[in-house]
Amino acid sequence: MTKLAQWLWGLALLGSAWAALALSPPGLRLPAPYRQALLPLPVYLLVAFGCYALATVGYRVATFNDCEEAAAELREHINAAREDLRRRGLRF
Amino acid sequence: QATATDRAVGFGLVAFSLALFAYYTLWIVVLPFIDSAHAIHRFFLPREYAVIIPVVAGLLLLLFIGVFIVVVTWKSRKPAKKSE
Repeated sequence: MTKLAQWLWGLALLGSAWAALALSPPGLRLPAPYRQALLPLPVYLLVAFGCYALATVGYRVATFNDCEEAAAELREHINAAREDLRRRGLRF
Repeated sequence: QATATDRAVGFGLVAFSLALFAYYTLWIVVLPFIDSAHAIHRFFLPREYAVIIPVVAGLLLLLFIGVFIVVVTWKSRKPAKKSE
């Protein structure tokens, strides 16, 4: 089964579990606070995932170390390439 | 070592998303179990907003992305394809 199919299956399972509990089927009586907390659960999970994504990006930005030597080397390469192309006639 | 601004922005994002997650979790998951007379309810908007605000924000985000794509595609039209 492809990854997409797996994800869709998981979503379908969770979605139907949520719908079964939250959309007040006859015969099921959850206590009121549980129902109140359960209803916005999809939006909550989306927001939680967004927070996790934002935190991951922020953390990776904060801990990505500068590579001074690699930067200097790259600048050298760029200048050398530019010189070379200029010699061959390419105008910038 | 990342630059100071990089670290400031990065950890700022982490702090912001942790705060947002904590506030939203309290709002959605914890508050229903707390007596409506408790003082903590003063810090939270009515529950409808806990759904309305993220949905509206998500729609705005999609709108912004769509407009951006349209603008970029429009600008990158080759002159030969459309008459001036």
